[in-house]
Amino acid sequence: MNQADVTKLMSQLRIAVRPNKRNLKNADGPEGRLLKLRKTVTALVKHERIELFYNRADEARGYAELLISNAIRHGDRHKATMELADYWLLEKQLVHKLFRVLVPRYENYSVSYTRMYKAPRDYPGIYYRQSVLELRGNPYPSLLTDHSQNRSLLHNVLLDEARKEFRRQKLPELVI
Amino acid sequence: MNLSTRVMLNRLAPQCAYKRIVTFSTKTAEHAVENQEESKKGVAPAPTPSSPAPVTRKPIIPANYRFVYPEFLPDPKVEWRNPIREKLERLDMLERRKQIDLPEFYVGSVLAVTSSDPHAAGKTSRFVGICINRDRCGLRARFVLRNVIDHQGMEVVYELYDPTIQKVEVLRLEKRLDDSLFYLRDALPEYSTFDENMEAEPLEEGASVPVNDIKVVLRPRPWLERWERQNLRGVANIDEYLKDKHRLSAAKVQKPWEKYDMMKDYRSSIPEEEQTEIFAEVHTDLHTLELQRKRNKRKRTFVKPKQLA
Repeated sequence: MNQADVTKLMSQLRIAVRPNKRNLKNADGPEGRLLKLRKTVTALVKHERIELFYNRADEARGYAELLISNAIRHGDRHKATMELADYWLLEKQLVHKLFRVLVPRYENYSVSYTRMYKAPRDYPGIYYRQSVLELRGNPYPSLLTDHSQNRSLLHNVLLDEARKEFRRQKLPELVI
Repeated sequence: MNLSTRVMLNRLAPQCAYKRIVTFSTKTAEHAVENQEESKKGVAPAPTPSSPAPVTRKPIIPANYRFVYPEFLPDPKVEWRNPIREKLERLDMLERRKQIDLPEFYVGSVLAVTSSDPHAAGKTSRFVGICINRDRCGLRARFVLRNVIDHQGMEVVYELYDPTIQKVEVLRLEKRLDDSLFYLRDALPEYSTFDENMEAEPLEEGASVPVNDIKVVLRPRPWLERWERQNLRGVANIDEYLKDKHRLSAAKVQKPWEKYDMMKDYRSSIPEEEQTEIFAEVHTDLHTLELQRKRNKRKRTFVKPKQLA
């Protein structure tokens, strides 16, 4: 039994966190792993939607969430948060994007700041699971298909029937 | 049928795509507007419940509770979490605290612990020493006291909620520069020697706990641990005993990237929301106990003057 670390105070993440980290095979060890994740987080903040291997996306997601939540908690006047942003964002103009664009966007969110989808894997290809990682509220069209226009959806069927019935009732008036 | 639908779909696809882009953009705008409205709503009704807040009396948890009562926070290891067990343990801890006064102390404080001992002369033994480590959580929370008695270093591990403990006195309440003081084992004995009949040094009420920035002088090698690798702040003369090979190997095992590893910190700590939940649960009981302790202390400090004439 160990004691919880009380020197660090972080806000709760709105995503499911694995109990253990993935090592993400790398010759440079833990430092190389973090470099990989830094590249991913930078790309995510830059492009807002990226497609990559599932494991790497899942690992990077937690870091992106914490980076944004720390930025929201402490603001840009906090030295430690600024150092974190400087470390995690390899392109320095993105530090401005983090504090000027993403913090105002996510300030009042009650859900996670990122979203992850499982993507199909190309065949034949590398046998790693693919995924799409995106920031919420990005300007791209949604990845989920819009089923609201689907004719066989139950409420659409009911609406159709209601419309038909309405016309049937109105028909005698139109004839006269 | 199939073919015709496919053709239809193909014809519809570009329209749909276009439509989707448009609807999406409007949606996001709406969403943003909604969000703003929600935030406004969230802000607007907030003052109304906050104005009658004194009536409902939400418990205000002091910010230092996590340092004073770290054992109330559960182990962050997910496999070992069990909310019901943690809650029951917290209740048991509060029950124990109602029986015995367990004061606030830190690594570096000097404590005196009186515990039942079947082999001692008066069936109790009192050990005075400096707390060199605190670990574990819940009912298993424990601390290590160290002292040098008759030129022999002694360490006793006490469990904080052990029923055989009769009394815990804090003789000197202070912190040190490091989180654990195991290096006192390799330091000169005077740094871990404390008088058994030492009197308690009271702190002023409301004063923050002082940090003792004393630098300890180490004995020459051999040591119990490779202290040069641990970035200790409370050691004065470590450089005297280091050769180049030690410095090189120490530099090799440093992990400067770990302070940026936020998920590592997240997995080794309890998030703030959960902490407030836990402390809100135990706050009232702990607060009454604190008030009781203060009252008792005042009673004890009052000494009836002797009649001389």
